[in-house]
Amino acid sequence: MAAVAGRTYPAVKFEIEPGAVAAFADAIGADPADGIPPTFAAVYSLGVTVPQLFGDDEAAVDFAKLLHAEQEFEWHRHPRVGETVISTGRVASDTSRRGMRFVNFETDTTDANSAPLCRSRALFVIRS
Amino acid sequence: MSERKVTFTREQIAAYAEASGDRNPIHLDDDFARSVGLPGLIAHGMLQMGIAATVAAEAAGGPDRLRRVFVRFAGMVVPGDTVTFRAEPAGEGKLELSAVNQKGESVLTKAIAESQP
Repeated sequence: MAAVAGRTYPAVKFEIEPGAVAAFADAIGADPADGIPPTFAAVYSLGVTVPQLFGDDEAAVDFAKLLHAEQEFEWHRHPRVGETVISTGRVASDTSRRGMRFVNFETDTTDANSAPLCRSRALFVIRS
Repeated sequence: MSERKVTFTREQIAAYAEASGDRNPIHLDDDFARSVGLPGLIAHGMLQMGIAATVAAEAAGGPDRLRRVFVRFAGMVVPGDTVTFRAEPAGEGKLELSAVNQKGESVLTKAIAESQP
């Protein structure tokens, strides 16, 4: 396995469409009238960037042995429906101990003017 | 305190897979899930977190008021499990979150939310 701490992936643009927000709200039992559910960040922040990590051959993250152990979202401001947001993912740390690999994957999401919206921090544990 | 009791179904897990774009077969296909050592298909941790954050948003006075949510995924949730999600005030702008299944086991631990004062 390759440790890829510090690696940053190219920024990803995502438009927050009303239909996608409503489907997400329905799926978690939230009232779509309340606007964007906070954890829609799983889509516009983590969701758009984490495939870059999983698809990175050098990072060699074995999807079948992967466990999502912790998740945090921090918001400066919640995005609005119709807004286009920009997310950049990076490997904040990548360590191994006792046969387990721990990858901290952070994503910073900004609005179109580069003002911060959300930071996602995911901890993945990969069994060897 | 805000509370919500949810009995997870395959339909809800499949709907979350579609809505979130996380179509990992461990959430959709029993045979695949068993092949990687799981008891069968399991709910997304992020679905659990989504419900916990919805309950937290209710306690905080609206989703826009949430500033931070953290969870540790401590236990699997399978179809048929009933999980009670709670958000309780824990000091200025802080909410303690919990998610406990029908056996009394916590499926989320260290779960907290912070809201705009």
